[in-house]
This record gives sequence, C-alpha cells and structure tokens, in this order.
Amino acid sequence: MSYIGEHTWAGQLGHFLALVSFAGALLALAGYVLFTRGNDPGWRTVGRIGFRAHSVAVVGIVVTLFTMLFNHWFEFDYVWKHSNTEMPLRYIASCFWEGQEGSFLLWTFWNVVLGNLLIRRAKEWEGPVLAVFALVQGFLATMLLGVHIGDVRIGSSPFLLVRELPENIGLPWTHITDYLQKIPQFKDGRGLNPLLQNYWMVIHPPTLFLGFACTLVPFAYAIAGLWTRRLKDWMAPALPWTFVGVMVLGTGILMGGAWAYEALSFGGFWAWDPVENASLVPWLTLVGAGHLMLINKRKETSLFTTFLLALGTFLLVLYSTFLTRSGVLGDTSVHSFTGEGMLPGLLVFMLAFVALSVAMLNTVASNRRFYLGLCVVMLALGVGLRVQVPAILLFGAVSLVMTVAAYRTGPFHVEAEEKLMSREFWIFIGSLVLLLSALQVSFSTSVPVFNLLLEPFHGVLAPLAERTGWGWLNDLAQAKLAPPANARAHYNKWQIPFAFIVALLVAVGQYFRYKDTDRRRFLRELSLALAGAVALTALGTWLLGYRFTELDLIALFFATTFAALANAFYIPKVLKGSLAKAGPSIAHVGFALVLLGALISTSRQHEISRNTKGPVLSLLNEDFNDSKDMLLYQGDTLPMGEHFVTFTGKRQEGVNLYFDMDYLSAEPNRYHAGDTVRVRNSLFRAKDDHTPGPEFLADQPAHWEPVETFSRSALWRTPRWTARRPGGRTFALAPLVQLNPRFGNVAEPSTKHWPQRDLYTHIRYAKLDTLGDGFMPARLYERNVGDTIVTPTCVVLIDSVRAVRDSVTIARLGPDYTVYLLNMKVRDLYDDSRWFEARPVVIYRFDQPVGSKGFAIPQLNVKFDLATVKGRQVGLNVSEREFVIMQAIVFPGINILWIGCILMAAGTFVAIRQRMRGR
Amino acid sequence: MKRSHLIALVIIAVAVAALIGSLNDSSSYADLNEAFAQPGEEFHVVGTLDRSQPIVYEPSVNASLTRFTMTDLKGRSCEVKLAMAKPADLERSERLVLIGEASADGAFHAKDMLLKCPSKYNEENKVTAGIGSDN
Repeated sequence: MSYIGEHTWAGQLGHFLALVSFAGALLALAGYVLFTRGNDPGWRTVGRIGFRAHSVAVVGIVVTLFTMLFNHWFEFDYVWKHSNTEMPLRYIASCFWEGQEGSFLLWTFWNVVLGNLLIRRAKEWEGPVLAVFALVQGFLATMLLGVHIGDVRIGSSPFLLVRELPENIGLPWTHITDYLQKIPQFKDGRGLNPLLQNYWMVIHPPTLFLGFACTLVPFAYAIAGLWTRRLKDWMAPALPWTFVGVMVLGTGILMGGAWAYEALSFGGFWAWDPVENASLVPWLTLVGAGHLMLINKRKETSLFTTFLLALGTFLLVLYSTFLTRSGVLGDTSVHSFTGEGMLPGLLVFMLAFVALSVAMLNTVASNRRFYLGLCVVMLALGVGLRVQVPAILLFGAVSLVMTVAAYRTGPFHVEAEEKLMSREFWIFIGSLVLLLSALQVSFSTSVPVFNLLLEPFHGVLAPLAERTGWGWLNDLAQAKLAPPANARAHYNKWQIPFAFIVALLVAVGQYFRYKDTDRRRFLRELSLALAGAVALTALGTWLLGYRFTELDLIALFFATTFAALANAFYIPKVLKGSLAKAGPSIAHVGFALVLLGALISTSRQHEISRNTKGPVLSLLNEDFNDSKDMLLYQGDTLPMGEHFVTFTGKRQEGVNLYFDMDYLSAEPNRYHAGDTVRVRNSLFRAKDDHTPGPEFLADQPAHWEPVETFSRSALWRTPRWTARRPGGRTFALAPLVQLNPRFGNVAEPSTKHWPQRDLYTHIRYAKLDTLGDGFMPARLYERNVGDTIVTPTCVVLIDSVRAVRDSVTIARLGPDYTVYLLNMKVRDLYDDSRWFEARPVVIYRFDQPVGSKGFAIPQLNVKFDLATVKGRQVGLNVSEREFVIMQAIVFPGINILWIGCILMAAGTFVAIRQRMRGR
Repeated sequence: MKRSHLIALVIIAVAVAALIGSLNDSSSYADLNEAFAQPGEEFHVVGTLDRSQPIVYEPSVNASLTRFTMTDLKGRSCEVKLAMAKPADLERSERLVLIGEASADGAFHAKDMLLKCPSKYNEENKVTAGIGSDN
C-alpha cells in the first residue's frame, strides 16, 4: 500500500544511516583494537574507514532530521511531537534536541567531531583512544536504532512515522492512503514546549553536550594509558582536552543557570534540581582530574587518584544520563525526561563502562580475568535469572573490592611522603575535596535509586530499622525515601563547607612552590591579599547584614574574596604582569567570583512584593508583611520595596500576554500644618510642617494631634498616613505569560538590571483573556432574599427584590418584559462601619433573562451583576476589578556571578592556549 | 600513622557522613494515613486532584493560599492548604506531589507542590484515539 504525501524515503534514509553509524562504529572498534594489539597499520586504516563511515552517517542523520523539521513533515512522530508551523524558525534547533533521541544525537555528533580531531592529532595514541571512542559511539548508536529483537526494543528511533508507533499499528486510520490530507491533526505538529522557546535553549544544550563529550577524551586517554601500560604518558596529551572540557561544561552549566534565571519563574538561577546536579557533578570531578594531571609529574602518589577521577568523570556523565533519561527520578524532578523504555539500554551502557574501567585498572592479568569472569557470572544472574537488583548490587560491591585490589597490587602503590608545604600536596587535597563534594551531591540526587536498589532487602532492613529506631532506615526499608524536602538548605549545609575549603585552597595554591615552599616568603606574598580579604569581609558583613549565626556565610565570603584577591595579585606580583601566563589566575578569580556572587545573591535575595491588601493590613508600618506575593489592582499604585509600582494594563503580542508595570520612585512624603490623615479609625491633624519618619507612632505626639469629632464620610475620604509618596516613573517592566493551551501557560519573568543588584518580577496569577471589561471572572452566588454573601472583599446583605412595572417601563419595553431590581447593602469586609448600597437590575422576557445592568462599587473594587430572579431566589454574579498577583525578588550582587563566569571561561582558554604553545 | 592514611581516613569519614546525612535529611513518600499518624512531620504525599471538590483561591484575601482536595494513591481524601498562589495548570494536572505536613485541623499544610501534567505520550494517545473513532 502506498500513502499519499508521505516522505517515507527520509525515514528510510534515517533508519539506514542509523544502521550504518552502528556498523561503522563496530568496524572502527574492531580495526582500532586490532591495531592497538598488533600495531599493524592496515588495521588502523580499517579503523579509520569505520570511524569515517560512522561520522558521515551521523552527520547524515543530523541533516535528515533537520530537513524533516524544516519542512514540517508531520507524518513523522518526532517532528509532530516537537515542532509546529507557528513556531519561529530560529527555534527549530531547540526542537531538534528537545526529545530524548535528538539530544542523544547531539551528544553523538560532538563525539564524532572530537573523534575526528583526535584522528588527526592523537598520533601514537590514535589506536587505543579511538577504540574507546568507537565503543562509546557503538553504544550511543544503539540508542537511535529503534529495532526490535524478540520482545526487547533497542533504542528509540527519531524516524518513526506516527502510523508506525506501536500503539497505532492496526488502528483503522492507518489503512487510509490519504490520511495526511484527511485527518486534520496532521496539518500541524504539537509544537515546542514554551519553556524551551528561548534563545538560551538554542545555545545551552549544544554547549553542555560538547562539555559532556569532552569528558570522553580524558577517559579514553586514561584507558589507553592503562591498556598500553604507559601509565603517565597519556596525561600530557589529555590535559588540554580536559581543560577544554572544564571550560565548555562549566559555561554550559552556567548558561543553564542563566536560562533558568531569565526564562523560568522558580525564582533563581540554581535550584539543586536533579538535572542540574547531574551536570554539576561531572564538572567537579573533571576539575579535580585536570588539576591532578597538572601535578602528576611531581607527585607519584596521586597517580591512582588521577585515574579514578579521569575515569570517574565519564562514568558520572553516564550515571547522570541514566538518572535523567531512564525515568528513575520519577516524581522528584520537574524537568527530567520520561523513561520511554530506555532504562535497560542505559543501564547496560553505564555498567559496561564501569566494568571496562575496573578491568583496565587491574593491571595484573590474573586479577583482570578473575574480575571479568565475575562480571559475566553477574550478567548471567541479572539477565538469565531475572534477579537484576541483587546482581547490580553484587556487581557494585565486586567492582569496589577490585578497585581497591587494583590499587594494592598494581604499580600505583607508591611509598613516598611529600612535603606539607608543597603545591602538589595541596592541589591533591583540593581535588579530593572536589571529589567529596561531587559524591555528596550524587548521594542526595540518587535517593530514588536507593529505593529501587534496596526494595528486595525489605526483609533484612525492616527489623534493623525497628531496633535502631532510625527514621531514614525505616523509609529505606520500605523504599519510600524522598529527596530532602528543603533541597537548598540540605545542599547548602554540605556544600558551603566544601566550597570554603576549595576557595581557601584556590587562594593559596599558586603561592606554594612545587616540592617545598619557604614559609616566610609564602606568608609575605599572601599578606596583602589576606588583609584585603579581611577588610572586604568586614565591609560585606556590615553591608549585607550577616549575623553571627551566619558564620558559615561570613567564612565563605572571606574565603572567596581571599581567593579572588590572592589570584588577582598573583598576576602583577609573581607573573610580573604577563597575561599570557595568567590564565590559571584569571580562571581562579572567576571561580571565586562565581562562588561569591552565588553566595551574596542567594543568601540575600528577598521578596519585596508584599500583600498589602487584605485583612492583615499594614497598620502603622508600611513594611509590615504577611506574604511574598502582591495583589495589584489595575491602575492602583502601591509601595513595593523602595519603589512604587503601578499595573497599567496588558497587551498581547502573538502568544505572549505582557503585563505592563510602571515603577515610580519613592519620594519622602511631606506633611504641612493642618493636613489630616487617617490612621486605622482615627483622624489626626498635623501640628507643623514635617517629613514623616518610618512609622507613624514615632511622629505621633510630636507632629500630630488627634481630631476629636469627625463624620464617617470624612474618615473614608481622608487619605491614609504614608511615609513616602510615589514620584516620577523610573523604569517599566513587562513580565509575561506565554499562552499555550497544549502545554499550559507559562509565566516568564522580567528583570531590571542594575550593576549591584537585579529586580526580578514575575506574574503568579492573572486574568488571561484579553476582554477589556476590566474585571476578573465573576463568581455566581445563588441566595434567597434576606441572605448574606461574604465575598473576598465585602459582605452583602440581600434586602429585597422587586419587579418594576411602572408605566414608563412598560411603555418603553412592551408588556412581555419584566424588570427586576435588587436592593442590597454592601459592607467593606475589613471595615464594619463602611456601608454602601447597590441596585443591580435584570430584564426578563417571559421567563428568560435577556439583559442586565450591573452595579459597581469602585471604593470596594467590586461589581454586581444580577443573573437570575426566581421568586425569592436570586443569582448574583460578583466580580472584582481586574488585578494581578506578582512576585518581585531582589537579587543583590548577581552580576558578580556573571562576571565570574566570563573570567573563568576566558582564563581557562588563555591557560589552554599557553600550554598548547609550550608543548 | 602516615599522612596518606590519615587523609584516607578523613575522606572515608566525610563520605560516610555525607551518605548518612543525605539519607537523614531526606523526607519520605507517604500516603495520607501515615502523614496524619505523625502530624508536624514532613512528608512527600503523592496523589491526584479531587476534581469533584472546588479549588478555592481568593487572592484578595490571601494571595498565597490555595485550598483544594486531594486523593492519595490509596484513595483517602483530605483538604490541602497550599501556601502558594494557585499554579496555572493545577486543573490540568494528572499527578501531584505535595511537600508539607499534616495539621491538627484535619488539613494537609503544603509548602510546596510538584505538578505532573499530562505527558507527551498520553496526549499523543488522545489525538490518535480521536482519529481512530472518526473512522
């Protein structure tokens, strides 16, 4: 059967190329392995041909998928799910990597780029390094195959037609030849998640995946070193790649932070979400690995740790991939992928590379054979006997034991004691702290995995938990462990001390000399930076108001300023101003500033939006608050922090609904003799001209005298006392809501940037249609005459309803019509002496309501519409004047963080260039 | 004792402490029965929105209080007081994870909530089911 309008050839081409890429990777693997073992250049040629074929196929897949997306061929599932015709073309790239398959493809693509660079540059390392690349590429290629072997599906192909999806096969519509024309759903795709329609999402994923790809280079070199028994030689060529990885991955992570800050409304740039953690952990270990490679020439004892970190970084990348793409995180992450049957493949991928790493570390051949034998047994246990979890746990334990055995038996065990005052010793310690920090983040992110792993051991753990009485053990036993409820507090508790140690080491590290350092000179060179850091810390503590109980924050402030100053001073003092050599120092200054900016902005971020409407009104102090959100009626001007804010209106541009907010300066108020103000239910008259203090009570006896008698209407008319009044417009912000019926509406923040702080605002709640009636959606109350209604702002007494049948009405409307008039008394909910009357009207023709005339009470921001009258029962619609709820957060010092990012990337770049030239 | 042994010991100690610490700080998934058995204790409760009951959000009274009823996975329902503005897609959610504690007033006081909205897969099914029934 042939279908009309399908571009089946593109799908077939894609499938074919996926197979070619897999076959090419296998060929390259075979060729390079044989070349490495026998050193026969013929096999190298085979390996190169294989890798080139693989590369051409991968590029072909990328081009095919882009072609499908560009041309909107919605018969393809991937195109239909991730794009539509309305979307701006520049976001096609985001569609490409929104899905599981596309992001795997992106990763594969970067590996191909790096692999081809290495073919040209790796020289004598080409064989073993490219063999590892080919193995990784083979695994990645299976993720895109989408073939079925028996009941097992291997990978997931982006080239499936919608009618080929398993759940659609056999459905009646798949037999219609012109289904593309007939079925309207195929006219357009489902579109891209609005959160991803952001320029950061065009550059953040490729950067991050390039960073992930870079971690493969030190891994491949480390394996190559173990394989060829050149345990140290691999580090020199791997080193620049490692720091390229540090730079690119670090930039990618922080771009993710920038995206979260600019486009997401969770209020910040980092939330310790599992997906964020998954990218941070490999970066930490990669930094550790890179620094260990630097010192390895001089420090024999760190060799094994260097291997552990270089191998571990890539394994952690695989682990992150497993965590975020297999679906095991489940309910704990907002933005991880759903599983879609990827779990077994990803698990095998990860465990295979763990096995490879441990096997290679065991340089004694008998141990390696023993370990590989055990791996096969455990694989058989897991797959054959279907006891996966115990098999995996056993595998983990065996791998751990064999890693220790590798250290004890291999050439790594060196008996040497280095000097305490040496650079290599402290860099080594710093790398270990980075490793610990990475482990802690990993542990806490892995909580859902613990549940899975420990489920079969319920019988053992439950009695143990009962005996010890430990709550978490009980949760563990029942496999119901949830991640820390307060993630920020939990991670900060652990990571602030780690960051403190690392920052101190960054500060002093370069002042240590290799081998041994003269103590006096060391102290003399550091004294200025130390004094500066103490002074800055004192200043910062005072400015930011850190209290003694926040000693951890003060300590980190000190350590980061110390690190920034010490490294900045290093350039003129020790390097004599040579910028070419200053790369490491610049990068370290950047790192310290990132930490400092994160510290200042997260510890002193504060909501300045306050709900000043409602029952707990600011009575005497306008800064009194009960909430983080602020309700703002359209047109009202309310104080917010050091500004006044007005919600002037909203406008729609495409799918974006903008809420225009004007920010006015706050001027000190000025009262003159004779002015009257209202404070609660009393009036006061000013005795003299004065500028009010922060609270009324402070001014009251000196400048104000009570007004003894006054009428109620005078009370309401008189303005409330305020310390400040709105001045001129200083700036405007327009936070927006992206309307998206399919994915849900998304609020995007709008931020005002100053050098020293940001004002970040976003909409929490608003009326999302653009009907210009100026009122919120009504709420219908059905009550009888005599009843009371309590609405959010007022109390309504329904007095009476009467039919108006006077001669004028009858003459004007005709005899078929009846006009009903409702008499109500309305009281301000928060002021029991403030009464109004309201008389809404409804017109009936026979027994159908045909028109109505509402009644608004502007003082109470409310409008009444009479909907129905049935005898004594009335239906009353109550609507409030249009408002929005917004949140405004001040982030102080966030620019320090962004400047730090740039310095870190730039410094690393300079350092890599310097090292490449030096070689 | 040699310095390298000392370092190894310190590292193992910190790693074990971090592991225990992360477990100790973790809260637990629970159903409502367990949450109400230990009021004041923090839990993650997984459930669904009870659509037969109203979602009450009166921003002009309290802009960060949303009240609704949830049903946990075992079928027990209870009122939830969520200390947040009503999320835009609460009604569309197919699954809720509430983070908070049971209170003596019979309601679950949640300070945070994760929403799982209809996944891509389900939506896909919905469309194709519609197509199927057309024919």
